[in-house]
Amino acid sequence: MIEINGKEISDLTDLQDEKMKSDLLTLNMGPQHPATHGVLRVEIKTDSEVIAEAKPYLGYLHRCFEKHAESIDYRGIVPFVDRMDYLGAMGMEWGYAVTVEEMLGTEVPRRAQYIRTIVGELQRIASHLLFYGVYAIDLGAFSPFLYAFEEREKILRFFEEMSGARLLYNYIWIGGVWNDITDDQLVRISKFIENLDEELKKFHALVGENKIFIGRTANVATVSEEMAYSFGATGPVLRGSGVDWDLRKKRPYGIYEELDFDVHVGKGEKGTVGDCWDRYQVRVLEMHESIKILRQCLDGIEEGSIMGKVPKVLKVPEGEIYMRTECPRGELGYHLVSDGGKTPYRLKVKSSCFTHVSMLPALAPGQLIADFVATIGSIDIVLGEVDR
Amino acid sequence: MSGITPDISDFATKDNQIGHEELTFGKWLGNIGHAVRTCFKGLMITGRYIVAVKPVTIEYPEVREELPSNSRSRLFNDVDNCISCLQCAASCPVDCIYITATRRDKEAPKLKTDDGTPIKLDLNQYTIDTALCCYCGLCTTVCPTECLTHTVDYEFAQYTLSEMKYDYLAEDIRAWKHRVVK
Repeated sequence: MIEINGKEISDLTDLQDEKMKSDLLTLNMGPQHPATHGVLRVEIKTDSEVIAEAKPYLGYLHRCFEKHAESIDYRGIVPFVDRMDYLGAMGMEWGYAVTVEEMLGTEVPRRAQYIRTIVGELQRIASHLLFYGVYAIDLGAFSPFLYAFEEREKILRFFEEMSGARLLYNYIWIGGVWNDITDDQLVRISKFIENLDEELKKFHALVGENKIFIGRTANVATVSEEMAYSFGATGPVLRGSGVDWDLRKKRPYGIYEELDFDVHVGKGEKGTVGDCWDRYQVRVLEMHESIKILRQCLDGIEEGSIMGKVPKVLKVPEGEIYMRTECPRGELGYHLVSDGGKTPYRLKVKSSCFTHVSMLPALAPGQLIADFVATIGSIDIVLGEVDR
Repeated sequence: MSGITPDISDFATKDNQIGHEELTFGKWLGNIGHAVRTCFKGLMITGRYIVAVKPVTIEYPEVREELPSNSRSRLFNDVDNCISCLQCAASCPVDCIYITATRRDKEAPKLKTDDGTPIKLDLNQYTIDTALCCYCGLCTTVCPTECLTHTVDYEFAQYTLSEMKYDYLAEDIRAWKHRVVK
């Protein structure tokens, strides 16, 4: 007796019969498919080009982060959180550091806060530039990818000089940051962002205003406000649906309270509110806002120490906490439970990409396969964060 | 909508993906005009890259990129300065550093590291499994004598996993000291 999908099947021929009766063609997209941005497998049932059902399968990149974290000391977890969203690792580290600092009651020095904001916003730009390039590839344009990577590579070079690594930094530590930023680097960053504004406008003219791109993304995979709320969407996906929600504004952490920037929401300029084009536009506008924040930070950065007072042997007092921060891809939440020991009792991560993947089955029915590729691209998932 | 958990059928029935508004001849012409205009604009931007922008690609084996000085690449331990304090092994999140040390004979000549710390233990084994290493840099920050460092050496691919285990007491690896450490 075999059991498949909850049904007991006595004979394999019965199963074949059942499959033969269906008019739908089952197709596996992934796990090794360039359009799924990692190892996501989506089982789609299609009627010719039109998708009737889509079912994402996860777990190809699962690394047991939660269980690992229970046996590693608090400082050693930082390299592990890097590996969740490897394209926005600074955001991951920052969220973790804020969580543990809140439990310890550590005060982070002002200079460290500024450096954190600078690297966090640079990371947001790098992450969105990657989205811009890869999304263009998804829709069949290759050159924008190379242009975006040229700029992104400059940011990664700054990170390499500061932390020593291109992607997995281990830079934001509990209590502060690892290395200080030099004046020379600050000057070079301000030079870099001066040109970036122009470059971004050029990029937007190249892709975002192109008629073919608009035709591929406008009115595709519309996420209504109600739908975004009920699925728990966050970050650019939620803002693309016209909801003005940004944790940096609504629940400020770090020094975001003192900074002046706007939150952009989708307006449905080219189609309906909440379509793929709106999500694209929100990310592009967010990069301009990040540049604005960077300018203020570079002007206002203060002298001082970069590490707060943290005991050498880190023991977090008993209790639990849930902290969330705004990462490039959405809200990242850490639920930390401590029993007073050297290692966390439990460290659960709430990832935005995971919630966004859960929207796929609702968005897919009725779409063309080519539009489904545009849908996966527009929610900008990183499978390292989905599976953890 | 009812309840907190989203029901896929609430949204999936909406026919918002297919179905276009009616296409008239004028709209059709306008679409073509818009497409030609915006594509031409894009081609002007890409065209500038052909003539006005210098290539940024580094032609790898011929031209080798120099990494920033604090880049975290291959680990090197200068065993002559190591005091076998085991702090690196304790801080390693993936436990890839293997150290064995024995107490030094009292009659044996007194040894000191370059910065003057007395060496009280004889180092018998110092092995790092580079294949396991995650290059986080936590071991180098705790090292009291600064003997364990990341180098900017980034070409160390091997054919087998066992070759990635570096025994820093071996003669050939000790010789790196003059090559990679400045």
